[in-house]
Amino acid sequence: MTIDIPFIWVAFKEIIKALPITLILTIVPLLAGFLIGIVVALVRIYKLKYLYRIANGYVSFFRGTPIIMHIMVIYFGFPLLLDQISLRFDLGLQTNNIPIILFVLIALTLAAGSYLSEIIRSGIISVSNGQLEAAYSVGMTKFQAMIRIILPQALAQSIPNFTNIFVGFLHTSSIAFLVSQKEVTGAANIVASVNLKFLEAFIAAGIIYWGITILVEGISFLLEKKVTAYNRGGVS
Amino acid sequence: MGKAFDIMLIFEFIPTLIHYLGVTLQILAVSIILGFVLGIAAAIPRLYKIPLLNQLVILYVSFIRGTPILIQLFLVFYGLPALLMLLFSIDITRMEAIYFVIITYAISNGAGFSEIFRAAIRAVDYGQTEAAFSVGMTSRQNFFRIVLPQAVRIAFPNMANSVIGSLKDTSLAFTIGVMDMMGRGDTLIAATAHALEVYLSLSIIYYIVVLLFEKIFSKLEKYFNRYQKADVTAVA
Repeated sequence: MTIDIPFIWVAFKEIIKALPITLILTIVPLLAGFLIGIVVALVRIYKLKYLYRIANGYVSFFRGTPIIMHIMVIYFGFPLLLDQISLRFDLGLQTNNIPIILFVLIALTLAAGSYLSEIIRSGIISVSNGQLEAAYSVGMTKFQAMIRIILPQALAQSIPNFTNIFVGFLHTSSIAFLVSQKEVTGAANIVASVNLKFLEAFIAAGIIYWGITILVEGISFLLEKKVTAYNRGGVS
Repeated sequence: MGKAFDIMLIFEFIPTLIHYLGVTLQILAVSIILGFVLGIAAAIPRLYKIPLLNQLVILYVSFIRGTPILIQLFLVFYGLPALLMLLFSIDITRMEAIYFVIITYAISNGAGFSEIFRAAIRAVDYGQTEAAFSVGMTSRQNFFRIVLPQAVRIAFPNMANSVIGSLKDTSLAFTIGVMDMMGRGDTLIAATAHALEVYLSLSIIYYIVVLLFEKIFSKLEKYFNRYQKADVTAVA
């Protein structure tokens, strides 16, 4: 077994075509999970009756189990559930026609929601209480204070954490290849199996992931500088 | 195959699967210990700014943090035999898959740990070092008696997170054919065609283990912070 360096470039060109699917599998769950995360974080901070127990359970369970489990359980469980519902109400749904990517997206969204809710929660808690008092003192309502004063500061502070989650989910999307999604890892696997050059194909896939990670970290660094430009403490 | 979904099967599968928890924990323990050593070795060039080695470690950490663990697993699985063949003409293609998994996770943990150690040692106030020198300690004594014990306390929560993350990552070891819990689950699915139940029992096992780990770590964290006053934010 020797390394065929020119083939890495061939594989790279082939694999990068699958990049849009990887990006969809990263960005869509994070955007949807962000909404879940905000709601769950607020429920847990305001300790809404009963609901906050559910929210705690959700966050704890999804953070406590590997994401591959979420994907597998939803991949196998959702069609069963839909079949039962469609049988009961005579909807005539064909679960075989649902694209697999939808199941992966649902699973990743639920996982992203739990991780993001923790980040948003810690961001909100870290905003000093004086900000809230000041908002109330100028006559803002609870809702206004949260939307206009607390959340912007909380989210700005959480940018490094969001970057970590983005990179984490970019990498997690590679698991989708186990349910035969043709994203970067899946494409690498196909290129590797067809040409029997496993090492070269995975080197190419690794370079793609690495490149995007570096890009995202760079963007986040610039964004952080911009957003926290007005955040000056003390005398500086 | 009888019913499509049988809730009792979940509990029937748990004893079979838990039998293989040992393999999972073994992978985790060995890779954490090796990763710890690697992490220290990688942190030293960065702390003391040893030329060349410093840049190499930066590259190593960046690559590990920039690629999914799945890709790293494949790269080690296909790349290590090729590399050893090329350099020393040693044939390890017949080596058991679990060793490749342990090597991958050790390399991956090493990168994470090195960053954690570096940040923790930097977080110890420089006044401590000055105080140590002022009472006549050597630089070595200062490091082992003053800086390291305090750094361990700072690093511990991050290390605990890393260990739990690593535990969840071990669920991917089955992709290169290791017979851990997931691998056994795969064979159970092949034998019974009850995929959903298998993955649900696996989720339950992982969840319980993670909860257990979290309990232990939070106890340990309290122990490490026993001399700490309420305000631990006073780190330079």
